[in-house]
Amino acid sequence: MEPNDEETLPALHLNFIGKTLSVFTHEVKNHLAILRESVGLIGDLAEMGKLSSKAEIADSLQVIQAIDNQIGKTSWLCTQLNRFAHRMDKPFSTFNVNEALEELSELLHRLANQKRIAFQKDFDKDIPPVYGSPAQLELLVFRIIDQHMLRLPGGGAIVFKTGHTKDSIKINIIAEGNLLEYNEEVISHDDICEHIVRRLGGDISTAAGDGKVSITIPLSFPESGGEFDLKKTKSS
Amino acid sequence: MKKKKDIKVLLVDDEVDFVNTLAQRLKMRELLVDTVYDGEQALSFIKKIEPDVIVLDLKMPGLHGIEVLREVKNIRPSIQVIILTGHGTDKDEEEARQLGGFDFLRKPADIDLLVAKIKEAFAEKLERAMTAIAYAEEGVFDTAQKIIRKEE
Repeated sequence: MEPNDEETLPALHLNFIGKTLSVFTHEVKNHLAILRESVGLIGDLAEMGKLSSKAEIADSLQVIQAIDNQIGKTSWLCTQLNRFAHRMDKPFSTFNVNEALEELSELLHRLANQKRIAFQKDFDKDIPPVYGSPAQLELLVFRIIDQHMLRLPGGGAIVFKTGHTKDSIKINIIAEGNLLEYNEEVISHDDICEHIVRRLGGDISTAAGDGKVSITIPLSFPESGGEFDLKKTKSS
Repeated sequence: MKKKKDIKVLLVDDEVDFVNTLAQRLKMRELLVDTVYDGEQALSFIKKIEPDVIVLDLKMPGLHGIEVLREVKNIRPSIQVIILTGHGTDKDEEEARQLGGFDFLRKPADIDLLVAKIKEAFAEKLERAMTAIAYAEEGVFDTAQKIIRKEE
C-alpha cells in the first residue's frame, strides 16, 4: 500500500532539512577557504618581509579588513541556520513570514546560484505575525522553489512576494525567465504542498502558465477545519 | 644551461575572493597563475592557452566541474586536473578519478599540500610527455597518443 501524504511528510521534511544543511556546509567551507587563504596571505607577506613600506602595510590592512568582512558574512549565515533550526523547537508559534522566507532564501542562495537563478524579495513591510508552523511553511516554500528551479533550466529569477489583508497573509512565489511548460515532471506544486497548506489552514493556487504560485494563510488560527485545529487537538 | 620551466596553473572557481587570494599566494611560490570564474570560461581559456595544471572547483554556476573535467580531457588530455572543492562526496571523487583527475582535495586546503600536488601533477605530465615522445620517435603513434590520454 502506498504511504499517504501524512505518512510521507516526516521523510520529506528530513530530506529538506538534510538538503539545507548540505548547502549550508558547502557555503561555510567556501567561507573558511577564503579566510584560510587571506590569513595565509598575511603570513606569506610577513615571511617575505613585505610588511614594511606604507604601501605594503596599506595592502595588508585591506586583506585584514577583507578577513573581518568575511567573518561577518559567515556569522550572518550561521545566524540564519540557527533561526531555521529553532523554527522546529515547537510545532506552532507566532512568527513573521518575511523573516522565515528571508532565512530560507539566504540558506538556499548557493543552490539557486549554481543554477544561475537569483532570489528576489518583494516583502510587505507591514506584514503582521501569523500563528502556525514556520517549519512546515518553509518545507512548503522549498518544494515550490524546487519545482520552479526545474522550470528554469537556463536560469532566471524566483521572486518572493508577501502581502496581507485584514484576515490573511499572502505569499506569491513567482518564477521569472524562460519557463519550461508544465508537464508530468515539472509541476507548480504537488499533493504534499496541498496537504501542508491544508494543515496550515490555508489555500494554494497556481496562475496558469506564468510561473506564479500563491499561498494564502489565515492570520489567526482557524476556529474549525484545518488539520492543526488546536482546539480540536486539546479536546481529543 | 637548461631554463627551468615555470609551471602554468589555471584556477577555476566562482568564489572570486578565494581564487584571487589563492592566485596571489601561488604566484609568491613561483607558479604562473591565471584565474577564471566558471567552467565555460575555463574551456574557452584552454582552447587558446594550455596550462600545465588546472585547479578546479566542482559546484559552480553553469557547467559542473565534472563536466569541465570531461571536456578538458577531450580537448587537451595532457592537462592535469586537481579538484579543489568545498562540497565533494566520495562519489564525486570516484568519478573525477575515473575521468582522469589527478587528485581530489577538499577546501579549505593547506597551501603547501596544494603546491606539492601541483608539482607532482606537473612532474607526471612531463614524464608522460617524454615517454610519448620516445614512442612517437619509434613510430608507435597510437601508443604515444594513449600515453598522453592516460590510457596506458
